[in-house]
Amino acid sequence: MTEQWNITLRIYRQKENEAPHFDNFNMEVSPDEYVLDAVERAWAFHDRTLCFRHACHHSTCGACGMRVNGVEKLSCITLIRDIAHNGATLKVEPLRNFPVVSDLAVDMGFFYRKMESVGARAVLPVMEAEIGNPPAQWEAEASQYIRLSDCIECGLCISACPIMATTPEYLGPAPLAAAQDHGIQRKPELLSIVDGEDGVWRCHSAFECTAVCPSFVDPARRIMDLRKQVVGARLSKLFGKA
Amino acid sequence: MNTTRNQPSARKFWSWFIPLRRDIGSWAFALNRITALGLTLYLFLHLGVLGLLAQGPGAYDDFLVLTENPFIKLGEWAVVAAAILHGLNGIRIVLTSFGVGVTRQKQLFYGFMLIAVFVILIFTARMY
Amino acid sequence: MSKPHVIVIGAGFTGVATAHDLALRGCAVTVVERGDLCHGTSGRTHGLLHSGGRYAVSDKESAIECIDENLILRRIVPQVIEPNGGLFIAIEEGDLAYAEQFIESCEECHIPLEELKPQEALKLEPNINPKVLTAFLIPDGTFDPLRLALAFAGTAKHNGARFRTFHEVQGFLTDGQGNVNGVKVLDRAANKVEELRAEVVVNATGAWAGEITGMAGLDAPVKPTPGIMVAYNQRFVQRAINRLNTPSDGDIVLPQRRMVVVGTTSFDAENVDYIPVTEEQTQLMLERGSALIPGIRNAKPRGIYMAARPLVGGGSGRSIARTFKCYDHKETHNLDGLVTITGGKATTLRAMAEKTTDIVCAKVGIDKPCVTKETPLLSYRQYYSSPN
Repeated sequence: MTEQWNITLRIYRQKENEAPHFDNFNMEVSPDEYVLDAVERAWAFHDRTLCFRHACHHSTCGACGMRVNGVEKLSCITLIRDIAHNGATLKVEPLRNFPVVSDLAVDMGFFYRKMESVGARAVLPVMEAEIGNPPAQWEAEASQYIRLSDCIECGLCISACPIMATTPEYLGPAPLAAAQDHGIQRKPELLSIVDGEDGVWRCHSAFECTAVCPSFVDPARRIMDLRKQVVGARLSKLFGKA
Repeated sequence: MNTTRNQPSARKFWSWFIPLRRDIGSWAFALNRITALGLTLYLFLHLGVLGLLAQGPGAYDDFLVLTENPFIKLGEWAVVAAAILHGLNGIRIVLTSFGVGVTRQKQLFYGFMLIAVFVILIFTARMY
Repeated sequence: MSKPHVIVIGAGFTGVATAHDLALRGCAVTVVERGDLCHGTSGRTHGLLHSGGRYAVSDKESAIECIDENLILRRIVPQVIEPNGGLFIAIEEGDLAYAEQFIESCEECHIPLEELKPQEALKLEPNINPKVLTAFLIPDGTFDPLRLALAFAGTAKHNGARFRTFHEVQGFLTDGQGNVNGVKVLDRAANKVEELRAEVVVNATGAWAGEITGMAGLDAPVKPTPGIMVAYNQRFVQRAINRLNTPSDGDIVLPQRRMVVVGTTSFDAENVDYIPVTEEQTQLMLERGSALIPGIRNAKPRGIYMAARPLVGGGSGRSIARTFKCYDHKETHNLDGLVTITGGKATTLRAMAEKTTDIVCAKVGIDKPCVTKETPLLSYRQYYSSPN
């Protein structure tokens, strides 16, 4: 017999030419369901005008990012049990720092253009995607396997970053992490893109991007590593020319 | 894709200020910015006060009387405390900026803040 | 000379691939979708780039479609594929008995396969069931569902197609003789109703095909057949792992990023808009998945979801062919201006689009060959980067 909780979903609503407001949806949920399931039921059974995004329901597409009780989450893998209790109100809002299309759906355009500008890899060799050491039993052949990259371009880091909140010009955690994934040595043209006031130097170490990333990218670590690469490249240019 | 009719949320420049429900890194970030603002304000006040010296010893002595005020003393305490916090967290930021300890930035913060509290206690005891 | 305007209803795999082909052949295309890309079945597909091995024995037409399209997709959209192949493994005597017909059927369908000894299979995939009796290497793969659609949609957009997401079709517009010449849509982001006219409307709504044709007073013989998927939080294998036997529940495990996904089941459902997950089916996936990869027992679920396949034709469950059907309603019901494409599998999206576009182009007087087989798709990010 599955446990049932009674919760209130408090969802941000915004339609064209209307003032934004919140709508409350009282529903029965199982604590072992995901926040996305509740949002989907709100659309299916309570209010068909609700606009939101979802696709894969298992953290590979990155479409369902939203703020749940003020913190960025992928709603498809956020268990209700982990962020609420029986009788609680769950506040659900769209991601910050993106223009809102309607309700919970935001316009990801400027973020994707940034990812394109650094040529972020969508697929890469398996061995390159691991942090730390791969399992010992993998044979050397494992290096030839290709897998989809860790970053699912969900935008949670863009929403959580306090710098992105002050300017859309900043490249942002995910694009900088994608640049680091290439490396300045492998892709020297990235140097002029990331070495600037809106590149690596704009980060002010809030580390919130890594805190909210659902996909093991660790953008903060990558940005700091990219700084080392940029400094190294600048120094060798300086002394190389001397 | 619909044409985007709405702009990003307007709470732009102060949303970093209240890192509610955020991770500890955001709190450190907010702390550093607030102490920085405080120290900068203090710097200008200090320069202003030093300017009094140019007006001669009398003007400066008159000002020194003010500093006996307990609120001013509290302000002075806050400046030193802010400098300690800002400085130690600053060391953490310098370290992580060069890739040292990035994956342990939370522990670094707790560690440095422990030292900060310790130092602040000592200096408070000496001040009062 | 102005381009003929075609409206495509549905931005799942069929809709976006059709928009891509139509745009390449010179149509002005508008895609209307009540949600956003892949909100329906397409988003929640398992993600298996089929080699056709699964259908070789019982559904040869599907199997051949699969292997042909598999090779095409590897060429035109590698950016969304983990191309590491797959294994069919036998873990019980009953599975072994299937091997002979499996080999024969794969050869008949020109699906390349290689038999491996158990030790060889375990060397390639150390985490599969150590009791593996035999294994066959075939060219399966994993793809990212949303990004596959984005790649087609982005390329179509780049070539002039327009996407009206959050636009829900409420009814058809008809001419004096009752033929379809447009749709009435509700812009859900603005609460506004619009009328869009077109020479032809393509119903590419998959499991919802019947709901849409119902608005024109017609039936579509599509039977929504949901199934469960359970994703786990560890990448145990690099390849698709299939059970060597007739298709049944929970007999496929796919790697994807740092996860594996176990699927699926097959049952009837009335309401396709929301299908609740059941505890029994989740348990079943755990049992069947760990039979193939024992480590799954110690992994944590990372997403559990249901999706409704659009199955075409009579019969029920797994006995229905997995091929697709395109209906020109002028022929089926003497109602012009409406074409329905449904059924099929994700792997065959391009082929479905080709057949549909052939029919549509014949109706609007365009005589251009299909070039989607050889046209590499643009980066999936083009969908967001291209202006609308």
